Amino acid sequence: MLDRLLQKAAPRTVAHAHCDIPCGVYDPAQARIEAESCYKIIQKYHDSTDPIFQTRCLAVKEERAELTKHHIDVMWHDYFKPEHVEKFPDLHDVCWKASKQASQVKRTVDIAEAQKLLDLIDKIDDMWKATGGPAATRLQPSA
Amino acid sequence: VALVAAWPLLGPRATRLQRSWIARVAVEGRSMEPALEPGDWLLVDPDAYRDRAPRTGDLVLAPDPREPERLLIKRVASVDDDGDLELSGDAAEASTDSRTFGAIDAATVLGRPWFRYWPSSRFGRIG
Repeated sequence: MLDRLLQKAAPRTVAHAHCDIPCGVYDPAQARIEAESCYKIIQKYHDSTDPIFQTRCLAVKEERAELTKHHIDVMWHDYFKPEHVEKFPDLHDVCWKASKQASQVKRTVDIAEAQKLLDLIDKIDDMWKATGGPAATRLQPSA
Repeated sequence: VALVAAWPLLGPRATRLQRSWIARVAVEGRSMEPALEPGDWLLVDPDAYRDRAPRTGDLVLAPDPREPERLLIKRVASVDDDGDLELSGDAAEASTDSRTFGAIDAATVLGRPWFRYWPSSRFGRIG
């Protein structure tokens, strides 16, 4: 009921408040590297007994997790197209969960949470590859 | 029955809506944060700039000069002597704006976004 009302109320027109001069380069590796930083920082945090070092770890993890989230969002908003959602009906769900997981990694030093984030980014990577992302969006190596 | 009763209301409004087909828009992108967020649904007044030209600080809906079917929502950063508008996003670092496409002709402006009707938590007038 509410859904149908909302559908009726939804604008048919999009007004762009964008952002980028679209360079068209997309790669989940960008998110993956930031998420790996989070993972390693959590390891280093636990290996250390130096409270100053640990504090720095938390600060840097915060920043890297935010970047991870940003790069996931760029894939979600800018790379994936409606036809990709048709091919992968859980695309929105995966991206949403990955963004949320990046937030989760911000607030925890539990390595398992960082691993979950990496796994979700890998799912995005699978969809990127299956939709021709590498050929369509990355420069090919010069011969 | 409800439909029949509503008919006199729908009649004249249909022509008005046709003229102002742009009456509602959904915001995409983050360049207007924090004033507008992606996913905001806005009402646009197509007549707002009929009587007076847009001024610095006004929100405008205008076609992208590089790709006219695409609509932009931006703020007027300045008005030059010829009446052309320099547009910019509020979140300057996240915005493609007049720094990349130059000033736009004020006559191309399609209207003034003036009210946010969704999400309900941010329901209200915008400016």
